[in-house]
Amino acid sequence: MKRHGAGSLVFLSLVLLFMYLPIFVVVIYSFNDNPSRIPTAFTGWTTQWYAQLFTGRGGYADALWLSLRVALWSVAASCVVGTLGAVGMARKAGRASKLDSVMETGLTLPIMIPEIILGLAFMVVFNALGLRGNDLRLVLAHTTFCIPYVFLNVKSRLVGMDASVFDAARDLGASPARVLRDITLPLISPAIFSGAFLALAMSLDDFVISFFVYGVGEGTLPIKIYSSVKVGVSTQVNALCTLIIAAVFTIAALSRYAGALRRARQRRLNPGPNAVPAAARH
Amino acid sequence: MKKWIAMVMCLLLALPLGAVAEEEKVVNILSWVGYIDDITLAAFEQETGIKVVWSPMDSIDNMLLKVTQGGGAEYDLILSSDYSLDILRKAGLLQKLDKEKLTNYDNLNPRFLSQTYDPDNEYVIPYVAGSPLIIYDPQKVPFEITGYADLWNEALVDSVAVMDNSRIICGIALKTMGKSFNETDPEVLAQMQEVLMPLYQNIRTFGDIESYTAVTTGEASVGFLFTSHLYMVQMDHPEFKVVYPKEGLGYGIDGFVIPQGAAHPDNAHTLLNYLMRPEVAAHNAETQYYMNVNSAAADYLSAIYLDSEVLNIPAETLEDAEFIEDVGETTDLYNQIYTAFKNQ
Repeated sequence: MKRHGAGSLVFLSLVLLFMYLPIFVVVIYSFNDNPSRIPTAFTGWTTQWYAQLFTGRGGYADALWLSLRVALWSVAASCVVGTLGAVGMARKAGRASKLDSVMETGLTLPIMIPEIILGLAFMVVFNALGLRGNDLRLVLAHTTFCIPYVFLNVKSRLVGMDASVFDAARDLGASPARVLRDITLPLISPAIFSGAFLALAMSLDDFVISFFVYGVGEGTLPIKIYSSVKVGVSTQVNALCTLIIAAVFTIAALSRYAGALRRARQRRLNPGPNAVPAAARH
Repeated sequence: MKKWIAMVMCLLLALPLGAVAEEEKVVNILSWVGYIDDITLAAFEQETGIKVVWSPMDSIDNMLLKVTQGGGAEYDLILSSDYSLDILRKAGLLQKLDKEKLTNYDNLNPRFLSQTYDPDNEYVIPYVAGSPLIIYDPQKVPFEITGYADLWNEALVDSVAVMDNSRIICGIALKTMGKSFNETDPEVLAQMQEVLMPLYQNIRTFGDIESYTAVTTGEASVGFLFTSHLYMVQMDHPEFKVVYPKEGLGYGIDGFVIPQGAAHPDNAHTLLNYLMRPEVAAHNAETQYYMNVNSAAADYLSAIYLDSEVLNIPAETLEDAEFIEDVGETTDLYNQIYTAFKNQ
């Protein structure tokens, strides 16, 4: 491996500092004892904000649960719809009718329409239908704008793929369902995952659409945080961010660990052509 | 999947409930999170058995969009600012109050009633009031500040922290010209832009939280802030001076309204009546750091509260204070000027 010069090391540390210093400050301030509504000074250590997260109306944890619940349901739904749509569309590639291209544009429309218009449109429709219940309303709206992320990701992956693989499977007697399960899905799963993560981020992040769609009661986390600005954003938000950061780091670390384990096992079972047999190393 | 089925069933179950005369023991409020504190809400719930469900809103603009587009009937109470209540009233989206149920109504201070947004007191119950003022550190400012015009003083380069609000910042420029906060004449507004522009070199920060922080930490020596932030600075630095600008004050009242089609108007009245009790109103004014609008509450206010010039503006000073009113399409012009000002 190439050695890095001092210059690039300095650059790298500056970039990392720039990226992580604010996060570090957020974490430190989550333990700030200052009870002021807008704390400016660090006055001592406490864990009270973590405890307050889980206390009824004043706590932010409920809003986080709602956000997570909505995100998971809508990502799951958009993965099913988006993937099936992309597979179906790709199958017709080359002989797509006008209707198909209209449908394709239609599928990606939700991320091109301004959010505020989409949000208002959902609100008007849901009210006209008499649809109540925050979860259902939010999941339906979020699914709509999550689908394009999965659809576009999977579609572009499929376009770059050799269609004869699927034909070969059919030729060898696999039913269409079996081809989907054993050939197509494993090949496109990275695209589904990356689309799902994008969709997850969009859903958790969304404020505008959620604000218009949600009915009564606890809003999603972004709604609650924006709404706190008038009276003063509680230090609870720092505590909540710290928990989220910790969760993200843990998940990332675990997935890297799992990936490393899997690769190690694959190498053991199936040494590539360049692998040197252990006995020949000496 | 089970959850969805359950939800659909809940929906079906919820339908016939509307027909029952007795109201469900719930009251739904749309407002800023924390604008009535948890202590008050919990005490109300315990006494009446009515559960308060708080629905958060982020800004007046988004609230107006949501409610005017038909999203208002889900709420029993909306707590927002004067001009937005006026827009809702004029759009016919509000219910008249039933004064018979509001036995504590007479506790309200008449100074805060019969305002432009509700001249006949039919729709709005005022909650708190406030007026943006100037606060400064006399140690660092070499002269006495008496009005908005002093914010332009050359001695204050890069040392004034202001709120981020197009109407109010443009408004103080208008006030120095002897005009109204609610000017709509495009020619006057063009002149105002000329007046406003040079203020920029004195501005240290824009924004509510940013400017409070700048003033209280000493980064800025002068602040032009909203009531709650002024009071917080005052608590941190009792030696700072508060100025009632001689050109005339801006003014705002936040109040409650009941939207047309609300499902629990009786519960809404019960809550409003509770909030107008003297001791409850005093607690809310003290914890929200805004001006008290309830005459009967005066006996319950603390000495610190009563000592603050920010929260106890003399009646004669408030006499000619002006509301920021809805100026319709001229809002765009204000925003254009303000954007040009900020992007110098």
